[in-house]
Amino acid sequence: MNVVEIENVSKTFGQFTAVNALSLVVPRGSIYGFIGPNGSGKTTTLRMIMRIYHPDPGPGWIRVLGEDNQTAADDRVGYLPEERGLYKKMKVRDILRFYAELKGCREFKVRVSTWLERMGLSEWADKKVEALSKGMAQKVQFISAVIAGPELVILDEPFTGLDPVNADVLRDAVLDLRKNGSTVIFSTHDMSVAERMCDRIFMIYKGNKVLDGTLESIQARYGKDTLRVKVEGNGFDPRAIAGVEKVTDFGKLQELRISPETDTQDVLAELMRCGRVTHFELTTPSLHDIFVRIARPEPRDVVGHT
Amino acid sequence: MRKMIVVAVREYQAAVRTKAFIVSLVLMPVMMGGSVLVQDLMRDKVDTKDKRVAVVDQSGKLFDAIAEAAKARNETTIFAESDEAQKQIQPRYLFEKVESSTDDPSQTTLELSDRVRALDLFAFVTIGPDVVDPAAEPAHAAVQYFSNSPTYDDIEEWLRGPLNGHIQKLRLKAAKLDPRVVEEATRQVSIANLGLVTVDAAGKIASAEATNKVANFFVPMGLMMLMFMIIMIGASPLIQSVLEEKMQRIAEVLLGSIPPFQLMMGKLMGMVGVSLTIATVYMVGAYLALRQADYGRFFPAHVVWWFAVFLALAVLMYGALFIAVGAAVSDLKEAQSLTTPVMLLVVAPMFVWMNVVREPTSNFSLIVSLFPPATPMLMLIRQAVPPGIPTWQPALGILLVLLTTIACVFAAGRIFRVGILMQGKGAKVGEMMRWVFRG
Repeated sequence: MNVVEIENVSKTFGQFTAVNALSLVVPRGSIYGFIGPNGSGKTTTLRMIMRIYHPDPGPGWIRVLGEDNQTAADDRVGYLPEERGLYKKMKVRDILRFYAELKGCREFKVRVSTWLERMGLSEWADKKVEALSKGMAQKVQFISAVIAGPELVILDEPFTGLDPVNADVLRDAVLDLRKNGSTVIFSTHDMSVAERMCDRIFMIYKGNKVLDGTLESIQARYGKDTLRVKVEGNGFDPRAIAGVEKVTDFGKLQELRISPETDTQDVLAELMRCGRVTHFELTTPSLHDIFVRIARPEPRDVVGHT
Repeated sequence: MRKMIVVAVREYQAAVRTKAFIVSLVLMPVMMGGSVLVQDLMRDKVDTKDKRVAVVDQSGKLFDAIAEAAKARNETTIFAESDEAQKQIQPRYLFEKVESSTDDPSQTTLELSDRVRALDLFAFVTIGPDVVDPAAEPAHAAVQYFSNSPTYDDIEEWLRGPLNGHIQKLRLKAAKLDPRVVEEATRQVSIANLGLVTVDAAGKIASAEATNKVANFFVPMGLMMLMFMIIMIGASPLIQSVLEEKMQRIAEVLLGSIPPFQLMMGKLMGMVGVSLTIATVYMVGAYLALRQADYGRFFPAHVVWWFAVFLALAVLMYGALFIAVGAAVSDLKEAQSLTTPVMLLVVAPMFVWMNVVREPTSNFSLIVSLFPPATPMLMLIRQAVPPGIPTWQPALGILLVLLTTIACVFAAGRIFRVGILMQGKGAKVGEMMRWVFRG
């Protein structure tokens, strides 16, 4: 069963089209990653799923948790907005209680304590929100999104601004949510997080869907056109090699994108002429690379390959 | 409905638990009653140093009377009443007789002025020679008070009593009239202001009750001011909370849980709760204070429930507008300029309340009190002035206000829905109108 079904939905603000004829299906129990450059329509899409925005009138529709009704699914959906979202003057415990009650959750007392403990915030339960650091506030906000045990959790950039320890805590919590049967949708700018955590990835660019599917299926579409190489020696310029379209230099490692008709053996031979090759790997492009290819198109690229 | 209550409860607690709320609750009556209290406390804080006043009595008939009255005053009235310790709360007045040099009176006044300047005297008075019989030579009948403290008029005020009293006595004597006969003949009659005569339960004609002009005037005014004050106290936390929700992106989370209209209604209900709390505090306070002062019968018990109903409606009506403003703007400064028109509506009844309180049953009063934004305050005034008005009038008023309130809440709901998610600059009035009509 699908938790979210979006069919041919658009959203315009005045002249600006934020989301254009979008169709998307989020299966139950999955972790779905939303990626895309700033201002490409991620948050608008999330807000439409939350029914905060209504889509433009038209043939399209959005169905959340099987409900067409405006607000019937509200109590079963948790939402973490991109930034802030807490009353500054309220105590942590009170605000969590408020959000739980708003979702119709009655046994919030135990849940609040459990979650606060899990996030390492027990001591802060009776402090006001304004006393919290940004990271702590973000964790409180995360708790407020999941306190009522929602079936669908929507997180708008949950990992931004967290240190590695807290990011791990939050990641484990998200994975646990899935284990307990919740479906998670989150948007992120961190491609490695998306690669490692998401069952499926959706990319939106200038309001249009450009990627949608498992990481493997996305990478498969681009084929094995990437070489990761390490070459010892000076005066090495892979750009000069015939068939290499683009070089991404990571310092110790270079990623070369080669054109489809190029023979990798020829490239290897060229490299060996430049110096001692210690690493040579034919691979699919990383999500990061795919993202950049789409969002920063170069003359030789075909946008999106879709 | 359940969610609305959750929002209302939070809103209520957020407003009531703040220090600002407690402070304004206490401060408001202090500020209103405080000036009276402070004046009362400060009244005794006067300079009780003796004040010497020279009198140039050219008539030669008045100084003794003045000195005698001053002596009586210095022995009794300058001390605090009911004070065992005989605490002196007013200065003594010491009068000194000065003979005018007959050839040049202006020389005398100059000398005396110099003495005032040298702080040897506080002031001096010159009394014309013909003051008792001014008809002969009006120019010589003047009494003049000279001092270097033009704002201190206590002496001048006091002097008027004994001076006129004695002059009158002298004139009556000259006319060979008995002062007691004159007093009887010129006694003023007072007019008692009564309500209408009624028939009591036993069928007897009950005597009319005396009305109290002050009470009939101040009770309606107090009710109106109280309602005005409560709306004002409630307005700013409401705007601030909407602004906070907007700026802190709380609205996004809330709107993921509750439809905008319900969210707004919840906030309004919270504000109604806050207003009724304030009203209860002040009403009980006013009742106790009045009873303490033995004025319990002036407490307008018969309009208290009307007051609650009108207050709740007024808060809903104006609150909806304040919420719309809060949702449409992006900071407090913008909010201030947009609230001005709403504030004008709230203040509007103040311009006509005098006419309404004097003639509560006139057509003018009826019409202005049925103008919905003014109804809560003006209708209440008309009800508070005895004998009140027919019940259909406040009932019709409530109906009209209710309709207006629904319209306001509806329009505000639409502005709120769009505005609350808008970031960056605030909306223009034209834009807001478009949201209202297009939905």
